[in-house]
Parts: sequence; structure tokens; C-alpha cells
Amino acid sequence: MEGHQRNLYLYERFNARVLGVSRDDVTTLRYWAKGLDLTFPLLSNVTGFLGVYFQTQPDGKPIFGRRTVIIDKAGVTRYVRDGSPEYKDILLFLKKLNQEGGKK
Amino acid sequence: MRAKRWMMLSVLWVLVSLAGCATTETVEKPYRVSSQGTVIWEDEFEFSPPPLGWKLLRPETGGDINFGFMKDDPGGFPSMTSFAYDEEPFGCSTQYEGREREFFKRFLFNAILEFKMLEKKKVQVVGGEGLQVDVEGKDPIKGEKVRARVIFGKRGDRIIGFYITQWRPIDGTYDMSAFDDFDKFVKSFKFLKKSFYETL
Repeated sequence: MEGHQRNLYLYERFNARVLGVSRDDVTTLRYWAKGLDLTFPLLSNVTGFLGVYFQTQPDGKPIFGRRTVIIDKAGVTRYVRDGSPEYKDILLFLKKLNQEGGKK
Repeated sequence: MRAKRWMMLSVLWVLVSLAGCATTETVEKPYRVSSQGTVIWEDEFEFSPPPLGWKLLRPETGGDINFGFMKDDPGGFPSMTSFAYDEEPFGCSTQYEGREREFFKRFLFNAILEFKMLEKKKVQVVGGEGLQVDVEGKDPIKGEKVRARVIFGKRGDRIIGFYITQWRPIDGTYDMSAFDDFDKFVKSFKFLKKSFYETL
């Protein structure tokens, strides 16, 4: 998450917004964001429905994997990677996506 | 019986051959030495290496720290010194004051030390103005202490860091010559090309 915060100015350049999703409750996330000086929105997904939707959590199980998803302006999921975010890979993808958008 | 022995010898030979293959595999070094004696690291950084006695330190699986050097010091555990170049030091701020505050919230966080600020000053680093912060942390329960110097500099819009940490038993004496080696390393450090972020 700290890596995303460092890259916010680049996401801005590529017309992208970042959202964090976690199963933690709002109060925990508020303290966590403060501790890491995060300024972008974090969504509290206590029930895990977003995890099921994005297939990071098998339905009915409390496991929540780490996944990076990029959704374009049309709502189409264009990028999915599991594990810790590959920040450079994400930036290159966003740059490409932004260039595609500029051509249309 | 003879055929069986031949078969066993053949299997053994194959195993020995494979073992040989594994040991002769060449691992490409990420650096080369220039005719001036400086180190060119991945064609991206150039610096003067520290004197003999310092061993190269690299993270096994990526991570934030690019590379560094370490040495075991006399005086028993935990006497050792290490220093590193870090492309992404803890924190997010692009201003030195903010980054310093964020950085020291997490620096050596697993050692649970209370840091005392020894000195803070502006310095010249990688061709621009930087910030140097010297701190000392003590753990009276474990009987350990650490002295550290952190130098923040800029590469494009982003802050990079150099830091040295020297651990000692709580009644031990610091070896400031290691800090001199670190300062020479930092002073010699140059970027040979733009960073990934600058080329986006």
C-alpha cells in the first residue's frame, strides 16, 4: 500500500485512481491508513463479498488472498495479478491503458 | 551381478555429471569494475567500493534495498556493520522532513528501539541537496545498541536513501571509521541513467 501511495502522482498522470480493499473493519483501517500516511480510499469489506466477486476468496472460506485488479473506464477488468503488487508492471500497464484511451 | 554393478556405476556417473553441471553454471554478476576502479552496477549506478573487509550484501528476493555491504566487527554478538543503497526508503513523502518522520516510524521496527536524534544536517548527495540524520537506539533488555546514519537524496521526483547501521553490545564502542567508509561510498555515488520512474 505504501508503494501505491508513493506512485499516486504517476497514477494521476495516467488518469487512474487506486482503491484498497481489506476485510478489516473501518476503525482498524482508519488507524492503519494513519500509520502508513495513506491518503487514498480504503474499502472495508468485512463480509468478503468483493473477495468472492474478484475470486480472491473461495466462497464460504475466511481466506483472502492478495490480488491487484485494474478496471478500465468501461468497467472491463484488464489486469489481474496475484501476490504482492508489481508496481513497475502496474505503472507500465496504466501508461499503456492511458495511451489507448487517448487514441479513442 | 556384473551387469547390476555396471548399472549402478552408470547411474552414479549420471548423478556425478549432473552435479558437475550444477556447479559449473555461471552466474552473471550485476556489476563490472571500470578502469578508474569504480563499480558500475547494472549500468545504472557508479560508486567507489568500500575497502577490503566489506562483503557485498544483496536481498535474495527483490525487496526495497538494492544492494549494500556488511562486515562482522570484533567484540562478539551483535557487533556488525552494514550499509545499503535503497531506491524506496520507508515512507511516501517527496519532501525530506516528511519522509524523515515517516521513515523513522518503521526503520529497524522489529528491534523495537527508541531512537535518540544525534545530529540532523543538510548535505550534498547525488548532485543535489540532501538530508543526513544520525541516530542512536538502545535496548537495555537485550543489552544491545545501534548507531545509524541515514542520508536522504533525490532521484527525479522521488526520495532515495543510503543508510548505515552499526550494532554493538550496550557497553561496546562504535567504530567510526566504518561511517567514513560509508560517507566515501555515498559521496562517490552517481546515477548513470534516468530511473524507471523518470522515463514513464
